[in-house]
Amino acid sequence: MSLFSFVSIGNADVNFAGKTVTWVVPFKEGGGTSRFARFIQPFLKKYLPGNPDVQIMHIPGGGAIKGSNYFEKNAKADGTFIFGCSTSVIVNVATGNPLVKYNLSEYRPVVLLPQNTHWFTRSDLAEPHDLSKIKERKLVLYALKTPASADLFHIWIYEKLGIKGAKPIPGLSSSGGYQAFLRGEIHLSSHGAANYVKKVKPEIEKGKVVDLMTLGIIGADGSVSRNPLAPNAPTFPEMYEKVNGKKLEGDDLEAYYAIGAAWSQASKAMMLPADASDEIVKAYRDAAIKMTNDPEFKAKAVKALGPFPLIIGEEAGEIIKKAAVFSDTTKKQLNAALKKHRFTYRVQ
Amino acid sequence: MEQLLAALFQLFEPTHLAFLFAGTLLGLIVGILPGMGGTSGLALVLPFVFTMEPSHALAMMIGVLAPTTTSDTFPAVLMGVPGTAGSQATVMDGFPLSKKGMAARALSAAFSASLLGGIFGAFILSISIYYAIPIIMAFGFGEQFLLVVLALLMVGALTGDNLFKGIASCFLGLIIGSIGTAPITGDPRYTFNTLYLLEGVPLVVVGLGLFAIPEIVGLLDAKGSIAKSLNTKKGWLTGLKDVVKNWFLVLRCSTLGCLVGALPGLGGTVVDWIAYSHLKQTTKDTSQFGKGDIRGVIAPESANNAKEGGALIPTLIFGIPGSGNKVLLLGGFVLIGIEPGLDMVTTNLDLTYLMIWSLAIANILGAGICMGFSSQISKFTLVPYYILAPVMVCLIFFATFNINRDWYDFIGLLSFGILGITFKNFGWSRPALLIGFFLSSKVELLSYQTQAVYGLSFLSRPVSIILIILCLATIVLLTKQKFDNNYRSDRIKGKLTQIYYIVILLYLPLSMIWFTSSLDYRANLFPISLSVIALSLLVFILIIKIAELKNLPFLNNTLMKFARSNIFEISGNFNNQLFYYLSFIGFLLMNFIFGFPIAAALFINIFILFHNRKAYVSSICISAVLMVILWSLSSLLTLQFPNGLIGLLIDLPWWLGGQMN
Repeated sequence: MSLFSFVSIGNADVNFAGKTVTWVVPFKEGGGTSRFARFIQPFLKKYLPGNPDVQIMHIPGGGAIKGSNYFEKNAKADGTFIFGCSTSVIVNVATGNPLVKYNLSEYRPVVLLPQNTHWFTRSDLAEPHDLSKIKERKLVLYALKTPASADLFHIWIYEKLGIKGAKPIPGLSSSGGYQAFLRGEIHLSSHGAANYVKKVKPEIEKGKVVDLMTLGIIGADGSVSRNPLAPNAPTFPEMYEKVNGKKLEGDDLEAYYAIGAAWSQASKAMMLPADASDEIVKAYRDAAIKMTNDPEFKAKAVKALGPFPLIIGEEAGEIIKKAAVFSDTTKKQLNAALKKHRFTYRVQ
Repeated sequence: MEQLLAALFQLFEPTHLAFLFAGTLLGLIVGILPGMGGTSGLALVLPFVFTMEPSHALAMMIGVLAPTTTSDTFPAVLMGVPGTAGSQATVMDGFPLSKKGMAARALSAAFSASLLGGIFGAFILSISIYYAIPIIMAFGFGEQFLLVVLALLMVGALTGDNLFKGIASCFLGLIIGSIGTAPITGDPRYTFNTLYLLEGVPLVVVGLGLFAIPEIVGLLDAKGSIAKSLNTKKGWLTGLKDVVKNWFLVLRCSTLGCLVGALPGLGGTVVDWIAYSHLKQTTKDTSQFGKGDIRGVIAPESANNAKEGGALIPTLIFGIPGSGNKVLLLGGFVLIGIEPGLDMVTTNLDLTYLMIWSLAIANILGAGICMGFSSQISKFTLVPYYILAPVMVCLIFFATFNINRDWYDFIGLLSFGILGITFKNFGWSRPALLIGFFLSSKVELLSYQTQAVYGLSFLSRPVSIILIILCLATIVLLTKQKFDNNYRSDRIKGKLTQIYYIVILLYLPLSMIWFTSSLDYRANLFPISLSVIALSLLVFILIIKIAELKNLPFLNNTLMKFARSNIFEISGNFNNQLFYYLSFIGFLLMNFIFGFPIAAALFINIFILFHNRKAYVSSICISAVLMVILWSLSSLLTLQFPNGLIGLLIDLPWWLGGQMN
């Protein structure tokens, strides 16, 4: 790999003419990361110098670890290999999965696609944007895929909001969980932006479901703003303040930023290997900026990717570092929440 | 309604139609090859569909499934060998008809009955989709849990030759399905610290190993059965008239097929017998049955095509496979990112309609091709099996490698291959094993979810009570019909081997208990309970077998008669099959040394020449044609060939297994 980076240092004019860029996606076809890659793919070809062919290579398995390890081992640093990252790829690193062999925090991000999480409940259980009735309940069931996934953050969120009756029901995908929620079997449910618009909004309009809160959109300066898809719903920091009577700060704020980076800001990402040269990273970032100005991209992006603008540039690298390297206090907080719910799984 | 028509127009786009057509052709071929059915066919295409657009992939997968039960009539009528498990009953009257020189009449009646049955099934499916939302909303965790458990019981009870061996097969499948990450705690179970087993054994490996490999060695073993060519051109019109005359029978059997198909887990192997015995019970003059009564062909054929539509109902709305091959279809759904359930009747309704239309059109296409080209297609049954077999083995290996590009998959394939061969020879149920394997994680999760939400109170919910009654009634009704005919045990050789085999099977539950006992109770409760049940069943069967062997008197009461019926299986020449199986291991070793392309060409030539030294022209031609097909497939879909040791030493071009880029 070092040989290739040596070659590329002497070559300031990055040109991919006649080359093929392989985009490694560690998931199955049809998933969110695959759709993200598929949407970007034609624009990348259009705007990268030399218009290389871009092929997507799906390597699913091992909870995204197999494909990620493959990338670490096989990717060339000359810009012909890029990586499709997602929250679960980051969570594998952040939670210290021993099978992880990829050094994600050193990768060079090109584009981040943020997402946001919406929480809601049935209208007979609570008033909109108000947790007080939920907190009184003895049993508040919610879906949790596995504690080793990003769903682990739910445990922490409900813990910090003081929902004492919260009890996770394991093994439910977000769509399976939402079905159980509609059947009235579980009480709290959440969805990402795309499914929120498609599936939850109609139920809210029918009056069956009410918004509770959103994770909130974290800006580059650390400020948190409301989600434009549900502008009346409070963000998690607002809800935290209302429930606990004090501002979100200290260890809790740090954990929130880490969770927000992994879960929301770097929900999907496109990255170059750690030893890609600055010229190559710049060529890719320039192409990404040109892409966002493309009229076709502008016309289709909101529908395909959601309403949140892409994050491009150095800022992206900071977010990935924050998301992939949890501080000891954050880990301690997550583990305390896991222990309380008698999970044997621990963040390492 | 608008979406229904939109889906039809979408299907008539050239690309969709092309995929549907390709799928249908493959399904027809798979159906003709005796023993190979929808399960093997789908397992072959699954590794490739995930590069396709979802709607294309769906058209292709349905295309493969639908016509297998149409074309399987060729071997049933011409050779007296069922083409798939669904046409066993067709042989009863179809083969005698063919011996009487009325093969064309039997075929044409079968195809048109299949066609009508298939369309009826699609029609019922499209109606039930309209009523699906309230059903889905009424089925909470508890009801779903019951549905899955009852489905497993039914499959176990009804797909095996012996009730207890069937249920034990089911539990063994459940145990194999519990290998991998424990869903509640994330502990690795039975993975021996490998990444390969962390997500469990891949479904396609299980499907191909359990179904395709045993059929191939089985037919190589029974090499005598080669059909005579279809010489009658007359009789096609008579067959059509027969179907028109018996329209009410077609309607009744289609309804029956649809119903049995919609029972989760069932279908496939039983529906044709149910239709056949319904026919017997409702006919006054039964003297001609088994000697060539055309109604004996019409009844099972209309039922086994109608069951496809019915079987899609639980598959689409609950993700519970309606029959064995739907397991693979669900596996395909996962690959292309479709989740069964509410989405299928709301946001993904267009895809559901696309499947319904594909089903109807594939049935029409399938029956049309079978009728139009019957004399050409029937020649397929003339090809000696030693020529087909190595080609199929190469295709299976190629498909297997492209699931994950992992050499471990070959080991998995051959392990499940030997499991499938022994299961088939010793009378254990492969469909039950497959469905148990597939539903294992669902059973485990639903049991936790039900417990968290309801405790035991779910049993007193009205839907649950209805489900339990329905299931017990079905099992009692169907077992009575099914276990009417027993083998005569004294004709069976090699009973001792079949007894030793159980001792080997005991290893799985015992080792599962051993390896998981140190885990958290939420990670090992499920596999250990399964293992304990499986152990008791296996020991019980062992006792019965030994008692039967020694002819102990306590078996002679009525209750025990049930347990002992078909406890031993008439096996083919097991050693012969083992020999063929070993040649597949030889092929794997060749792959390991030379890489896939060279190994495949070598294997085909050696295999054919071993059987017929004069066939070198055809062996060279066949290997060349196969390579050209594989090369074009691999460059179209950017697939990689397995690279061998030689490839590591020398830089080979991609078409010999080198790197693609």
